[in-house]
Amino acid sequence: MHQESAIKVQNLVKNFGKGENLVKVIDNASFEINKGELVALIAPSGAGKTTLLMMIGCVLEPTSGEIWLGEERVYNNKWIAKDTRKIRREKIGFIFQAHYLIPFLNVIENITLLPLTNKISKKDAEKKAMELLEYLEIADKAQSMSSELSGGQNQRVAIARALANNPEIILADEPTAALDAKRSISVILMLKKIAIEQNVAIITVTHDERILPYFDRIMKIENRNIVFE
Amino acid sequence: MIDLAAKDIKHTLGKFLVTAMGVGMLLGIVLIMIGVYRGMMADAEIILDDIQADLWIVQENTLGPFAESSRVYKDMRETIYVMQGIDKSEALTFQNIQLPHHEKPVRVVVVGYDIYGSINPINELRLVAGRVLKNEHYEIVVTDKTGFALGEKIKLGRNSYTVVGITHNTVSNGGDPLVYISLKDAQELQFLYSNKEIQNSMARGVKNSESDMVNAIVARVKNGYDIEEVAYQIRKWQHKSVYSAKDQKEILTKNLIEKSSKQIGLFTAILVIVSTIIIALIIYTMTLEKMKEIAIMKLMGLPNSLIISMIVKETLLLGIFAFIFGNIFSHLTYDTFPKRIVLEIPDAWMLFGVIIIASILASFVGVRKVINADPSSAIGG
Repeated sequence: MHQESAIKVQNLVKNFGKGENLVKVIDNASFEINKGELVALIAPSGAGKTTLLMMIGCVLEPTSGEIWLGEERVYNNKWIAKDTRKIRREKIGFIFQAHYLIPFLNVIENITLLPLTNKISKKDAEKKAMELLEYLEIADKAQSMSSELSGGQNQRVAIARALANNPEIILADEPTAALDAKRSISVILMLKKIAIEQNVAIITVTHDERILPYFDRIMKIENRNIVFE
Repeated sequence: MIDLAAKDIKHTLGKFLVTAMGVGMLLGIVLIMIGVYRGMMADAEIILDDIQADLWIVQENTLGPFAESSRVYKDMRETIYVMQGIDKSEALTFQNIQLPHHEKPVRVVVVGYDIYGSINPINELRLVAGRVLKNEHYEIVVTDKTGFALGEKIKLGRNSYTVVGITHNTVSNGGDPLVYISLKDAQELQFLYSNKEIQNSMARGVKNSESDMVNAIVARVKNGYDIEEVAYQIRKWQHKSVYSAKDQKEILTKNLIEKSSKQIGLFTAILVIVSTIIIALIIYTMTLEKMKEIAIMKLMGLPNSLIISMIVKETLLLGIFAFIFGNIFSHLTYDTFPKRIVLEIPDAWMLFGVIIIASILASFVGVRKVINADPSSAIGG
């Protein structure tokens, strides 16, 4: 089966500081992740996981290299697109350590916020949001506020929010950090299901070794470069 | 699009309303301060409007009885009356005294006028009980604010006066209530010394010959005559300072109230600045509380304009709610102030404009925070 590339990184370099204070975080990294893949990103603290995630997420500008998101080259020694937020809005979904839902919006509003910004009609955005909530088995909580939901339910809403703009990529920053083992596995299985069924590439930063067997691939930062286990 | 500002306010409605009430009280005080100034202006004009004189003839080189001491002979009334262009003329006295009252003395301005004269300083439209003076002695018309009742006796100088009329809203330019007595009584009160004082003066060879003085002569000019020309003739031949009603109004409002109005203006400006700073601090705090959400919104790709519009809208709504509460507060309390407060709609609209501008300025601190918010702070810890 032909696998479509979701993320392609070539010769990516990220340095902080200058001269004597120069710190190389990522040095000449190249890798490719396909749609439908669930990939774990592991490395010791301070090794550059978040830096890599932010560069792929078009938040932090690399020093040099190339980044492709799907068929679009977004970085070639400089940002190609003027509006990197638009790339994030249209191509990327984010999941965080905590759910970080906007507390003054209810579940459905949290999910439809991004599609509405992308000029999707309210009707279509809400329809899609309800489909996602049903898919994640929390449709009955559509009108609830995040303060009325459990941690697990909130994390599901956060996943629904990340999927609401039909992203090609989901970047998840330790999504199971606040959950117990059983719930962590349940979330990872859910992400795996999403990766396959929604044809999305998911990179998940994690420190939790218990969930590593559930990933398709494990990506490590070693000596400022990327290696796959 | 989801109205983020409305949703956020709804989520913390109680906190928002209490904050708006607090700022609103400050704005209410601003409105009251402006009302105090308006009240002073209105008070200053009452006495002039009631007397309706075209000309005020006062002691030469003085600004007249409201600004400084002025004495002219009463018979100047007749001298003025026979001058060309004069229709009516009248002698008036004005004196600050304290009326003895049950609880504590009441400070008033006594206006003395000839009850048989052609110009009556009591505006009968303001009379809410009783009548104007009819007897030449020992009658007094008071303002309701003095607290005296109809028929009550008031000891004044050597004599006892009966309250025969009560007026409403009659105050001097200083805000003191006006009371009215006959000219003869007023002259006696102002210029007639006590028997002991007279004896003392006589022993010193001083004659008390000035009891037929008044503080000003007021006159109305015949139709068709130029007020300024008539005033010029009086100045030229009678050696008196003469002011038109417009001049007198200017003396009262500009010269006398100027300092007070500057003071009130300064207080008002300070309060508006304080309100702006408070709104800015509140918005800054409200923005700080949402920094994580703002970082997430930016990370998700929401445009700055959307987040900034939320901050600006919230600030404007805070300003508008505070303005509404301020108006309610000022309208509920203005009547309890001892001095007259005049709340005028144009002043409220002016404050509304100021507070909208102040809110926009105040929102800049929040907006700045949004612009500088780092979306990467949403990732990790």
